[in-house]
Amino acid sequence: MKDGLRQSMAWVHTWAGLLVCWLLLLVFMGGSAAYYKHEITFWMKPELHKAADAPSTVTPAAAATLAVRELQQLAPKANAWFLDLPHERNPLIYASWTNPPKKGMTREERRAAFRTQNVTLDPMTGEKTAAPRDTRGGEFLYRLHFDLYYMSAIWGRWIVGVAAMFMLVAIVSGVITHKRIFKDFFTFRPRKGQRSWLDAHNVTAVLALPFHLMITYTGLVTLMFMYMPSPTKALYGAEQNTMFAEVFPNAERVKPAKQFAPLADIAPMLLQAERAWGQAPTRIVLTHPNDASARIVLHRPAGQQLSNIEPTMTFDGASGALLSGPKPMSATLDARGAIYGLHVAHFADALLRALFFVCGLAGTAMVATGALLWGVKERQKYAKVVAKGGRVGFGVRLVDALNIGAIAGLPIAFAAYFWANRLLPVEMASRSNAEANCFFIAWGIAAVLAQIRPTRGMWRIQLTAGAVLFAGLPLLNALTTATHLGVTLFGGPGLRPVAAFDIVVLLLGALLGWAAWWLGKPKKAAAARQPARASTARDDAVIDPKPMEAA
Amino acid sequence: MSALILAGAALAYSGFAAKSLTMDRHYADIHGRGAEPSARLRRQLRSIGWLALALSFAACIAASGWHIGPVVWCGVLSIAAWCATLLLQYAPRKAVQGVWIGIPAVAALLFLAPPFN
Repeated sequence: MKDGLRQSMAWVHTWAGLLVCWLLLLVFMGGSAAYYKHEITFWMKPELHKAADAPSTVTPAAAATLAVRELQQLAPKANAWFLDLPHERNPLIYASWTNPPKKGMTREERRAAFRTQNVTLDPMTGEKTAAPRDTRGGEFLYRLHFDLYYMSAIWGRWIVGVAAMFMLVAIVSGVITHKRIFKDFFTFRPRKGQRSWLDAHNVTAVLALPFHLMITYTGLVTLMFMYMPSPTKALYGAEQNTMFAEVFPNAERVKPAKQFAPLADIAPMLLQAERAWGQAPTRIVLTHPNDASARIVLHRPAGQQLSNIEPTMTFDGASGALLSGPKPMSATLDARGAIYGLHVAHFADALLRALFFVCGLAGTAMVATGALLWGVKERQKYAKVVAKGGRVGFGVRLVDALNIGAIAGLPIAFAAYFWANRLLPVEMASRSNAEANCFFIAWGIAAVLAQIRPTRGMWRIQLTAGAVLFAGLPLLNALTTATHLGVTLFGGPGLRPVAAFDIVVLLLGALLGWAAWWLGKPKKAAAARQPARASTARDDAVIDPKPMEAA
Repeated sequence: MSALILAGAALAYSGFAAKSLTMDRHYADIHGRGAEPSARLRRQLRSIGWLALALSFAACIAASGWHIGPVVWCGVLSIAAWCATLLLQYAPRKAVQGVWIGIPAVAALLFLAPPFN
């Protein structure tokens, strides 16, 4: 370490960050969106909006009774029923079931069958709502941020895992190398070229450091059994599932008695759970319905603890008797649950969720400013060449182009995904895949155009395109559905997610539009001082109007 | 409980703004180039800053309990620090006047927090 710790760490920070920054942008944007995956899914299924508009006055016990009655019609012979009752973020009842596997069915076929075995129910009547369009909604964005797409989930998770590890290295080395971390704590100096980009990078990184560290570390922990399989292998050999069964508090597996027994009334069970927890359960799993060994498992709603493993109460489905209350968990499992829970933030109410989302956006901004900073710094080496009408080096050009394609191009891809949701024909075959393809087609076009002409003009074009697409979403929603902002803002609480989606995309559009405007604004001071350079600069991708001065 | 979290955010802002004044750069932005806070003022501001941050923590715990409260506090700290940073750059006088927001926030905390009522 001949250069001293700080300089060495600066090198590590630069390269660990730069190598994975474009993938991290995708992960950060997708992950931030995933905090609202239910709301996004609901927005993307406008067929459900009508049923959600009715003021919901039913109690959870009544809703559960209605849902059970409907499932008795739809799937009386199912292996298990899964029920999600209405709550703050979800105005409807979601019910799904698994059937006993037929002989010779492959795993893929069973999965495909399960995808069709679900219904959405109107909580007022218990009847099926209008069938929603085929879309993966927010689930696509959630999966995208750790499974990627067009490859097996395992590959995606390894790639994202490596990027997350680089990110962790970049965070730690960044803290070490930042020698004015306290002196510059509140410092942001605009219009000072490289200085300003560094300030922006510091402010978005340091002021949300607890979040950035937490989200990166906990993200790795969510997949720890995949990334670090050795401890499990040492203890359990190849039988990883045995470990999962032993460690995680699954409902005991009961074999069906193959003897008919009518299901007991579910309402008293919900009331009993509500008395014990102070909150009515919203997630219910019924195994072997209409069998003598039926079990009904009620999950406590999230919001009281960090851990994502919520306590459950198990009832005998035939007699209705409480079989077991919440089981005590080991401290290790509780700690793991809390770390996992911090990442997925199921416990977060509306306000805390918004804080997580804003911190996620700050993470995006941190990665983006870091990537831009590399270009701004590196470009200075070419200042004299560029002033004589020459070109910047290949590396700078490549990074500039990738930056445009990721920072300005990804918002276009997200917006294109939402536009596709409304514009693709509702009856289209494999529609949900087509929506995902639109995401990547839009991103691909943006990335290729950026490679062809990585200029300031391209920045403005792509930022403007993203701004128009995002800000146009509420308008598109108004033209294609009956639940536009004029309705949703004054409608019942069931439509609040739709209104919130419209407002947030409008704000994001405004933010992108502001960025495009800011880039196009004539830089008075710089232009006045250096008129010659401004007019002769051939490659004008320079984000920084006066790079030399900042050096 | 949103009112308590709001009080927590106000206190966090107040604390950060007070602490920023102990830094030469931000003090000079307001009182003119070269001005430095006296050692006594620096000590006072620093104490007020830490006290406000601690009270902000208390407000978040009172609002969301020991499980979720610390998480809320981290988010609130980030938001408050960004507000302080932007105000110090674009409206430094307002940033300093904002320290007073801590007083009504303390009142709200005393009024709303469970141990006191």
